[in-house]
Amino acid sequence: MNFQFKRTVFDAITFAYLAAVALVVIYSPSEEQMLNMGPNFALVAVFGVLGAFVSTLINKSGTMTLGQLIFAPSHKKDPEKCKSSLKQLWTWQLWVTLIVTFVVGAIQTKVSIYELTDEAGFNGAVRLFKGLANPNYDILPRAILKVIETIFIAFMATILAVPVAFVISFFCAKNIMTSPIGFAVYATLRTILNVTRSVEALIWAIIFSVWVGIGPFAGMLALCLHSVASLAKQYSEITEAVDDGPIEGIRSTGASFLQTIWYAIVPQVILPYVAFTIYRWDINVRMATIIGFVGGGGIGTMLIKYQGQALWPEVGCIIVVIAVVVWIMDTASAYLREALK
Amino acid sequence: MGSDILLKIKNLEKTYPNGVQALKGINLEVEKGEFLVIIGLSGSGKSTMLRCLNRLHDPTGGEVMFNGKDIAKVTGHDIKVLRRDVAMIFQHFNLIPRHSVLSNVLMGRLGYTGTMSSIAGKFSKEDKDQALKYLDLVGIGDKAHIRADQLSGGQQQRVAIARALTQNPKVLLADEPVASLDPATCHTVMDYLKKVNEELGITIICNLHFLSLVRQYATRVIALKGGELVYQGSPKDIDEAWFEKIYGEGAKEVHIN
Repeated sequence: MNFQFKRTVFDAITFAYLAAVALVVIYSPSEEQMLNMGPNFALVAVFGVLGAFVSTLINKSGTMTLGQLIFAPSHKKDPEKCKSSLKQLWTWQLWVTLIVTFVVGAIQTKVSIYELTDEAGFNGAVRLFKGLANPNYDILPRAILKVIETIFIAFMATILAVPVAFVISFFCAKNIMTSPIGFAVYATLRTILNVTRSVEALIWAIIFSVWVGIGPFAGMLALCLHSVASLAKQYSEITEAVDDGPIEGIRSTGASFLQTIWYAIVPQVILPYVAFTIYRWDINVRMATIIGFVGGGGIGTMLIKYQGQALWPEVGCIIVVIAVVVWIMDTASAYLREALK
Repeated sequence: MGSDILLKIKNLEKTYPNGVQALKGINLEVEKGEFLVIIGLSGSGKSTMLRCLNRLHDPTGGEVMFNGKDIAKVTGHDIKVLRRDVAMIFQHFNLIPRHSVLSNVLMGRLGYTGTMSSIAGKFSKEDKDQALKYLDLVGIGDKAHIRADQLSGGQQQRVAIARALTQNPKVLLADEPVASLDPATCHTVMDYLKKVNEELGITIICNLHFLSLVRQYATRVIALKGGELVYQGSPKDIDEAWFEKIYGEGAKEVHIN
């Protein structure tokens, strides 16, 4: 893709966006009209096409759009035109877009000074916070038992994901899958992994809790699936960065495909693999807590139960336990990873 | 020696997928027991040619007869068998840094060892004895249990030679084996290659940059220029005029002692 194409698309999007906002402000359409997707999309598309023309015209006429500033390679840019002056179109384009977006954002998120300063609401928050700040340590033993469950959910998810991700990672490394068939396998696997990863672990937990029932097993499976996708991607990126010399050296001895992987690649990647795996366990402990909210077991499930009953001192105790465990895991994994470098 | 032809290269061509024509029809015969040196500028096709001989690269035309087979056309398992017979050492040694010297040398046996037992790290007693024998031959038998990345460049190249020898090869390809070494170490490594050539009778095909080394070690020399063979003869016959022809006008010979 050349830069003109990227520039034109970028400008077309910003111009179409501004035009659409202007239209809404001028006509203030009803909600029913807003929900009328077909004509609205068509209208925005027309704005986009117009914006593309405008962008091309402006850049031809000697001044510069924001898209040109961002995407054009430096040798194509006239230094005179890069000067930050309000006479330049791109400065207007940038400021107008930012301000319009801020105003629209404030309306969309219903920003309200009135709600923020409402006395009753504020007192409610203070009451809640007081509860949280005075944890009820009577439930500490149970919270500790549950956080141990969470740590093991994370551990099992990681440990079961490692061998699967390890094997998959070699099939999604570009420098190994060089043949045409290899490239097809590479592309397919990468796509599957990307899709798996872009579905939040939270969603997987909901799916698995229907499948195997609410509890730690569902949470573990959800995290495990997510970990396979993440680890396989990270592993394969490490594999793609290995030094080619040893691979050539081992191939030249008459070694087979598997022997080449084992002798030339594995020694180069094993330590980074371990480091990423420890980091993944660390992340999984944090994610396991969240997954508990939707029935994935462990401390998260306990937290959501007390939160539902508005028992804030109990919730406070659970939060303390989670914070301590996350802090310990974080520190320990950082030290381990540092030592493995 | 005389009529013992080991490799017969006919019209060898290699065009890379990006369209670069690295070899434009090389014709060459290599005799058994030769120390053949290839000279030429960077990009003249020297490395490509070596890699076509053990199929690290696939030739795109011509044939290479070796052991009654056409190297250019062998496939599958035969490529592995070919690579056992045609060992190679590299400019950057290409050892496995985290493994011990002995383990690196044993990797020369991978082509003879089953996948499963080699992954388990099981090599036979004979393999180990052989590995140690070749480490002694290149003068670093005492370093067998040190990690390979603890050694100096020259020592690493000698480990690479030992690894190549444990393959029991008929030919040893050397791709600029001394290009990343200092002048003193250069000669040590070249001396060991000469020893391998003379004592074990292994044919050597070696890419070199320095003419002084060529005169000292080669039994025959060929020169490549732009993917074509432009010179073939005795190292003593390379004079100033030939040198300019191979390396271009105004090139000056650099001596290394």
